[in-house]
Amino acid sequence: MLAKTNQKAALVVAVIAIVYLLLSFNLPGYTNALIDADVIPKGLGFLLLFFALLLYLDKKNETEADKEKRKISKQHVINLLVVAGMILIYIFLLEMIGFVVMTTVFIFVCSLYLDYKHHVTNVITSVVFSLAIYGLFNYLLKINLPAGILPF
Amino acid sequence: MDAFSGLMSGFQVAFSLEGLLFVFIGVFVGTFIGMMPGLGPISAIAIMIPITYSMDPSIALVMMAGVYYGAIFGGSSSSILLNAPGVAGTVATAFDGYPMAKQGKAGKALAIAAIASFTGGTVSVVLLMLFTPLLSAVAISFGPAEYFALMFLGLTAIASLADGSAIKAFISATLGFMVVTIGIDAQTGTSRFTFGNPNLLEGIDFLVVALGLFALAEVCTLVLNRNEKDDGQSKNIGSLRLSKQDIKEMSGPVSRQSFLGFIIGVLPGAGATIASFIAYITEKKIAKNPEEFGKGSIKGLAAPETANNAATSGAFVPLLSLGIPGSGTTAVLLGAFLVLGVQPGPLLVQDRPEIFWGIIASMYVGNIILLVLNLPLIPYISKILKIPRPLLISLVIIFSLIGVYAISFNTFDLYLLLAFGVIGFFMRMFSFPAAPFILAFILGGMMEQSLRQTLTISNGSFGIFLDKPIALSLIAVGLLTILFPLLKGRRKYKVS
Amino acid sequence: MKKLFGTAAASLLLVTAAGCGNSSSGATDEDGNWTPTQPIEITAPAGPGGGWDTTARMVSQVFEEEEIIDQRLPVVNKAGGGGAIGWAYIAGQEESPHHMFVGSPPLILVPLNGQSEYSHEDFTPLANVIADYGAFVVKADAEWDNLNDLFDDMKEDPQSVSIVGTSSPGSMDHMQFVKIAKAAGVDVTNLKYISDPESGGLTSVLNGSVDVFTTGVAETIEQVRAGKVKVLGITAEERLEGEVLSDFPTAIEQGIDETFINWRGFFGPPGMDEAAVTYYEEKFKELNDSEAWIEIREKYGWGEMYMDSEEYAAFLEEEAESMQALLDELGLARE
Repeated sequence: MLAKTNQKAALVVAVIAIVYLLLSFNLPGYTNALIDADVIPKGLGFLLLFFALLLYLDKKNETEADKEKRKISKQHVINLLVVAGMILIYIFLLEMIGFVVMTTVFIFVCSLYLDYKHHVTNVITSVVFSLAIYGLFNYLLKINLPAGILPF
Repeated sequence: MDAFSGLMSGFQVAFSLEGLLFVFIGVFVGTFIGMMPGLGPISAIAIMIPITYSMDPSIALVMMAGVYYGAIFGGSSSSILLNAPGVAGTVATAFDGYPMAKQGKAGKALAIAAIASFTGGTVSVVLLMLFTPLLSAVAISFGPAEYFALMFLGLTAIASLADGSAIKAFISATLGFMVVTIGIDAQTGTSRFTFGNPNLLEGIDFLVVALGLFALAEVCTLVLNRNEKDDGQSKNIGSLRLSKQDIKEMSGPVSRQSFLGFIIGVLPGAGATIASFIAYITEKKIAKNPEEFGKGSIKGLAAPETANNAATSGAFVPLLSLGIPGSGTTAVLLGAFLVLGVQPGPLLVQDRPEIFWGIIASMYVGNIILLVLNLPLIPYISKILKIPRPLLISLVIIFSLIGVYAISFNTFDLYLLLAFGVIGFFMRMFSFPAAPFILAFILGGMMEQSLRQTLTISNGSFGIFLDKPIALSLIAVGLLTILFPLLKGRRKYKVS
Repeated sequence: MKKLFGTAAASLLLVTAAGCGNSSSGATDEDGNWTPTQPIEITAPAGPGGGWDTTARMVSQVFEEEEIIDQRLPVVNKAGGGGAIGWAYIAGQEESPHHMFVGSPPLILVPLNGQSEYSHEDFTPLANVIADYGAFVVKADAEWDNLNDLFDDMKEDPQSVSIVGTSSPGSMDHMQFVKIAKAAGVDVTNLKYISDPESGGLTSVLNGSVDVFTTGVAETIEQVRAGKVKVLGITAEERLEGEVLSDFPTAIEQGIDETFINWRGFFGPPGMDEAAVTYYEEKFKELNDSEAWIEIREKYGWGEMYMDSEEYAAFLEEEAESMQALLDELGLARE
């Protein structure tokens, strides 16, 4: 079982290498180039394929610590997926709703979800942090973060 | 005017009341902006340009120089405390700075960074003062062949960045190199691996990769461990005080990297980021206990912090003595000079000695101010770690998101950031080291371009490297670093 | 906990719904005179610090400080795709009279290289304000003393001379050289051009790795003064004014009848209202003549080149045609 993890990883790496190679072979040529844009990528693709093979053949066992790292409970997986989902929503709405609102909501909701129980501190931190950053960037540094629905 | 009286006029500028005041303002603003997510020296200088319009040119430029090295100085805090580098030059700082902070030695880590930066900055100013006219020859001695050789030498160190399987380190590095081939190829104008998406044409920004692989991947780990009974260690800031042992340990890397970092900074196109990585890998190579690197080694923290500041001063050599901006940042700085009616170049030292020497002299003062300004702030800055875990996680995520958004103002890069966070997380899970990935990402792009430039010039003949002594010796050293451990390993094998 | 979380999520949705309102289109009086009623957003299709960003910020500053326009003009950076991201953003603001962006030759070249969906034809030209020119530089002790020396050698063997520029083939540095060299009769399909995006072009010429550096005029002055390099020719119509600058010979006076202008001006979104265009034309004219702007232009070494909307459109059409022809010949025009 232990050796298998490395071999599975090797297979994934090999797939990446093959996809990359396919794309490299489809790069359009440029007539005037001595060494065209596809030369190095092809080399990298074959190199990765070679390393994947080495990894596949590598008999070295994983250490206990390595194995331990991968033990994640179902609850934890859900935690990670929810946080990732919240980041996605943040990115999606950032330019529509604006920096201040989104950042305040994100910090508050995300901390809340991760079991932060001090709601008052949470509200204060999220509001003050986003207003401070926004004010700093937009007014002091003149680098405009999206205002969104707010009029300032 | 000879150099000495020129230098004196420079010191007069730097030590005038106005000079001191504006050096102070410059480094203060620089440190501050450098601490902001995504804002590095480029934005810091661009932001300050309009303020200088009506100022006396020598005073204004002394201030702008302060903004520049102040921003590099300021960038290290978030690397050390949050594993979230705000500037490219401080990515290598996170390698050992963050583990140190996690061990409850955040105060010490920040102090080491400040002292290493200060020393790197100061030693390199001495070099700058003594050798600028001489070094201008070094700055232009590097053509495409030499750059290729330098990047090659850097890449040979990948194996040394592995802390487990060397094969996995090589795979990481190859993947990093592959990611940097995305975008328009400079030599042909062909767009590679962009899938017709205009967002990918300019390639993927270094900070997107670094913040994803380091900060977001760390966020995942923090989320998983957030309920673990805190042993109180990771929140401990620890004492700022360095023991004699600590100072002894950092003295080696600091003194070596002050010189090496400076020289790399002198080369146009290399700059603080490459200098910090090369510093890290050379120190790891020559260390007696390389296995400590990546686990909170003092040497591993001091080396890149010294080098990135030394490289910053080094970058002034081609700028002041040749008028050649060696990097994006110095190009913007050159813009600041031009706005003030000062044209840096070979004649600057004759025409405007008070400006040429004023900037150099002010850097002594500036570095001292930076140290005095930053050391007392450390206990306050490191209070960040006292923030409860859930809130800290949210803030690190936002810090990374702003950091990326402030580079391109484009949400596509934010999705990419998230993707690299996921990749970084899986790489951790399966013990693929992230450092070789990021190293190959930095060096790979330049290595490919310089190789193809060289071969285009030589009409495809590799013989061109034989005619270039600098390139040849760099490649030779690179080959030796690969072969030497192999030979050594073999001998051991025979004995056993 | 769950409940609180739900409330927060719901409020998020509410906020989303509220965000979908849109902005007004300014005020037009009975005579058809248009005036802006809200801040005018100037997009720089690149990050802070570059040429586009600087131009946008300077224009915004003069408009505001000289009170030429009675509204704020915040500058917004939209970097990526060599400008394509910023252009796509403006294309999405169809008919809005409160948006504009700063453009230059890449607005023609990038689409022709197949790297942007939108080109100059999609936008409303408002006014051009600045012109820069290209320069061809060699080391001071190089064997060539003028463009004809250089091109004679290249006519014999185009591969005998290496040329370096900051950007890739098909972009400005490359095309300005191609345009002049072709007019001189060089076989431009066979040039030895390398690109050094890390701005190492000047270094490469100084250390002799490469023969010719194709760049902007301003970048060369100091090196020429110091006697390190010489300028074989510039791409302007006639000699420029200023110390050192006036010594640079044009291609035209060397018998090569061709020019290349690095123009810089402002564009509105597709379909901007005629009244708004007229308004901006007048305001840019006022800016162009203002003391403050003249001072800034001198500081940055930018040449003057004002064109109103109509002249600008015609000029761009001509430029695009000549670039298209050259790129076709080079095999660089892509879909």
